[in-house]
Amino acid sequence: MELWERIAAYREVVEEWLRGLYHGMISHPAYEKIEQEAEDTEDAFLLACFPDAFGIPSPVSYYTAELLPYLATEFEAWERRMWDRESLLERKGHQYHF
Amino acid sequence: MRRFVFFGGKGGVGKTTVSSAYAHACAEAGLETLVVSTDPAHSTADVFDQAFSDEPRPVEGYDSLSAMEIDPDEEVTRHLMGIKRAMGDQVSPAIVNEIDRQVELAHQTPGAHEAALFDRFIDVMRNSDGYDRVVFDTSPTGGTLRLLSLPEYLGGWIDRLVEKREQSIDLFEKAAIGNREPRRTQVGDPIVARLRERKENFEFAGETLRNEAAFFLVLNPDELSIRETRRAVDSLDDYGLTVAGLVVNRLTPEPEDHEEGRGARFLRRRCATERERLAEVRESFEHPVAGVIETRVAEVKGDFLADVADELEIEVALDGPHAR
Repeated sequence: MELWERIAAYREVVEEWLRGLYHGMISHPAYEKIEQEAEDTEDAFLLACFPDAFGIPSPVSYYTAELLPYLATEFEAWERRMWDRESLLERKGHQYHF
Repeated sequence: MRRFVFFGGKGGVGKTTVSSAYAHACAEAGLETLVVSTDPAHSTADVFDQAFSDEPRPVEGYDSLSAMEIDPDEEVTRHLMGIKRAMGDQVSPAIVNEIDRQVELAHQTPGAHEAALFDRFIDVMRNSDGYDRVVFDTSPTGGTLRLLSLPEYLGGWIDRLVEKREQSIDLFEKAAIGNREPRRTQVGDPIVARLRERKENFEFAGETLRNEAAFFLVLNPDELSIRETRRAVDSLDDYGLTVAGLVVNRLTPEPEDHEEGRGARFLRRRCATERERLAEVRESFEHPVAGVIETRVAEVKGDFLADVADELEIEVALDGPHAR
């Protein structure tokens, strides 16, 4: 193996490691965080649409029921999450990978 | 007079009589007229001695008069069925049951009736091109007033929902770093589209009610009725709706001068009180009294309707862009 080839191979390894490090430390947690924030906002949206699922009367649930055919999967998952979720801390803390 | 005319007031003051009489006058004047009853205890059928349904149906004996009775129950069921049908098309059967419960629940909430009635209202106003005048015989004050306050209230609510939804879509798009596919996209989101459509509907209703509708309140010459009317007038003003006038119904007829005896004395005393009340109404309301109607011996029906219509001083001719 010639010298330039060995240098190239070495750089490749370093590059891969760096990319992995960047992905693991910066970009992955970042998009994960944003996505979780998005999920939380969506939960809030669903709660605003269907508070009567939890016994809170809503003036617009008659109208938001029209959205259910499009929200079905999300709705079901959301309802399960809402019943199961123990604390906000658990959900928010989870993103720090302790 | 504007194209949509609403008659409201306390329960039992004779809204149906007055609105039917007005519709009669409009029809006699050659206007294509539709009477819409939104009172759950429908009584237009009794006035015209004919059964009506959810769809406009011509009234026998008139050339240009139709009537319909809105049944909110039926409307709620129709809405429910529509959603279930959409669900069958969109959702896998495994989830349907889970969601079904929520859909049923939404249709049993206290607001469902009002919402259904309101939808039908909008529907009638939107599809009334064939009529020159639409007369609404509304349910007693409280219910109707809440109904009329809905556009603003619900509009604001839906606004906030749209905002939340857009926020979460925005975040989902941002979370898709690099060339990952975002979980939701702004383009063609059916939820936002639906909510917008609803909002547009509310705006239409609000605008039509403010600009093309006139409200009359029917009252009897007694303290209770006057007080309730004052509250109703105030809230209508608050909503920015035009109260065009008041109609005082059920005045006691005066006995002849030579008559004496218990009955005559009673009537005379009663008339004096009522005259006082009437003066109070004329004085203390800034809205004109558009009709004073005496009690009839029998139910107002058929020929009586024409009599009552004569006592109404509500303008019949159309104004604005719809005038012919």
